Amino acid sequence: MRLTLVALILSLASPALADTEAVIRDHILPGQAAFSAGTRALAEAAQADCTAAALQPAYNTAFDAWMGISHLRLGPVEEAGRYQAIAFWPDARGLTEKTLRRLIAEEDPVVNTPHGYAEVSVAARGLFALDYMLYDEDFASYEAGSYSCALVQAITADLADLAGKIEAEWLSGFAETLRSAGQPGNTTYLSAREVTQALFTQLTTALEFDADQRLGQPMGTFERPRPKRAEARRSGRSLRNVTLSLEALRQMASLLAEPPPAETLAAFDMSLKNAERLDDPAFAGVETPQGRLKVEALQQNIRAIRTAAIEEVGTSLGVSAGFNSADGD
Amino acid sequence: MTTRRGFLATLVAASSWPAISWADAGNPAFLAAAKDADGSYALFGLSMTGEDRFRIPLPDRGHAATAHPTAPEAVAFARRPGTFALVIDCVSGRLVQKLDAPTGRHFYGHGAFIGDGDILCTAENEIETGQGRIGLWSRSRGYARIGEIATGGIGPHDVKALPDDTLVVANGGIRTHPDSGRKKLNIDTMRPNLTYLGSDGTIHEQVESDPALHQNSLRHLALGPDGLVAFAFQWEGDPGESPPLLGLHRRGEAIQLLTADLSEQIAMKGYAGSIAADHERACVAITSPRGGRVHMFGFDGAFQGVVRRADVCGIGAADHGFVATDGLGGILSLVDGEVRPLAAQPRAWDNHLIAI
Repeated sequence: MRLTLVALILSLASPALADTEAVIRDHILPGQAAFSAGTRALAEAAQADCTAAALQPAYNTAFDAWMGISHLRLGPVEEAGRYQAIAFWPDARGLTEKTLRRLIAEEDPVVNTPHGYAEVSVAARGLFALDYMLYDEDFASYEAGSYSCALVQAITADLADLAGKIEAEWLSGFAETLRSAGQPGNTTYLSAREVTQALFTQLTTALEFDADQRLGQPMGTFERPRPKRAEARRSGRSLRNVTLSLEALRQMASLLAEPPPAETLAAFDMSLKNAERLDDPAFAGVETPQGRLKVEALQQNIRAIRTAAIEEVGTSLGVSAGFNSADGD
Repeated sequence: MTTRRGFLATLVAASSWPAISWADAGNPAFLAAAKDADGSYALFGLSMTGEDRFRIPLPDRGHAATAHPTAPEAVAFARRPGTFALVIDCVSGRLVQKLDAPTGRHFYGHGAFIGDGDILCTAENEIETGQGRIGLWSRSRGYARIGEIATGGIGPHDVKALPDDTLVVANGGIRTHPDSGRKKLNIDTMRPNLTYLGSDGTIHEQVESDPALHQNSLRHLALGPDGLVAFAFQWEGDPGESPPLLGLHRRGEAIQLLTADLSEQIAMKGYAGSIAADHERACVAITSPRGGRVHMFGFDGAFQGVVRRADVCGIGAADHGFVATDGLGGILSLVDGEVRPLAAQPRAWDNHLIAI
């Protein structure tokens, strides 16, 4: 009886840990599997017909799958520059375009060797290289059998290779690294609390990225909006990416805390509703004051989700945004 | 590497010097400020392997500290724009004295000793003009304020003393005013520099990096051998850019800027929080709590590798390699790119780990 009471008091006194198993099982692993399958299908489609119009549907499916996991910046995707090799954005200096132009002008034979493309600059790999190759009018009119065709086949094969390795490493090791936090030999996470902190940080950092980068880059300043900086604007995915990111983050937030964080989820729903109403797929509207105001309103909505998540999810899990990373000095 | 501790041990062994030394303070190897589990702030003395040696309460959030070269005494600084600095007896864990920034000045969070440990130099803001100042305090006169010199720039954040007592100052370039808290007031026009100063205020040398990088705030310093100065940057410009975050300099030469490969450089998120130099292994490390990374470079400029750890910030050189601290309470040994946890404390380590 007394022991039960002590246990009860202890459990009340210390904040809950994140439901790591639920996040791994229902969120992370299905997301990795979808991205791995989507990129594999894209690479296979490129082998069958490399032309831009033929590949666009498979490209969008793969990109949609990426948006389900792009907020998970831990584990295998952080090894060996993989994250940037999948998603080289933002790209203020236009390195993707420059590198692709150089490869095409020189007809660099790197595209012909199996796995050779992994040696190319991360700026010309992954989804954003494909956004140029499949949608930019300077790049997308290539024909089957051309150098650009081989280039697209190399980029898609490399991307599928990356996604497959990341999924395999989650299954063979990193999921277990999260589960075995605090056990001897685990030098990545010294306690279960560190995993809770890490998962929570993925949520808050990704919301910051959605607001500050995915929306903030094209918004620029009021005097100087930068619509050409919108993410994946050539394929017109900019707003879609924000929506899919919010949907993925909403799912993770609902799994992280028990009971479900009602205010945080309501803030997600408000943002998603406003994103749906925003009829501006590539944020071209930021050039007009009214258009910019609408994007800015969505940005405020997303910042409000982050505030709610810190107060509600963070408090229930006993974690906050990083002590040093949020500080700056 | 000859640490002060090692040097002192030799001295003590050779002469049976009777003065109270760092050995009497339980030989802490590091000092670090932290936010404790109960929300209070404190300065900790730590052993080489991460065990607590002492705990001294701080009135508010700390930033960095500087250790006296011989006496077991440290000065802990408030986080900017704080106005307190605490002189601490590391043997008794007692507060010796509280230093208050003079009217119209605040501390930036770093300081250094010169004159065989008799003069404490503190990085300060002349609030009215925003001009950087080094405050001078006489230890033998009970830490009386004995003067100040101009740093030749705005926002001097870190200051270090070279063996000949020349001061190296990282003028970060960012103007702030306590009335607006930590808000940055001059991002468009900021011009950071590295300045070598005599204690009489003579500017011996001043260097800036490329004008295109004028928004790269030069903030933290580490000293290498033979006049080598390493410095870490915090980028205030376009977040889509990934500028160099580490520079090396020697008097009379140009600044050498160092970068990792493109993907690793991007992953640092334009922010280096701390820097340390390991003389024995001829390498320098910078930390990015935002990127959750430590980058290591040789004194020759070559990128040597990365260690990943969430919210990592404090770093110092120990006998066996680097030791790093993080906001989750971890103390980690980084040897040859391998991470070995030394301790996990229920507290959040603040920005800096100061090697004694």
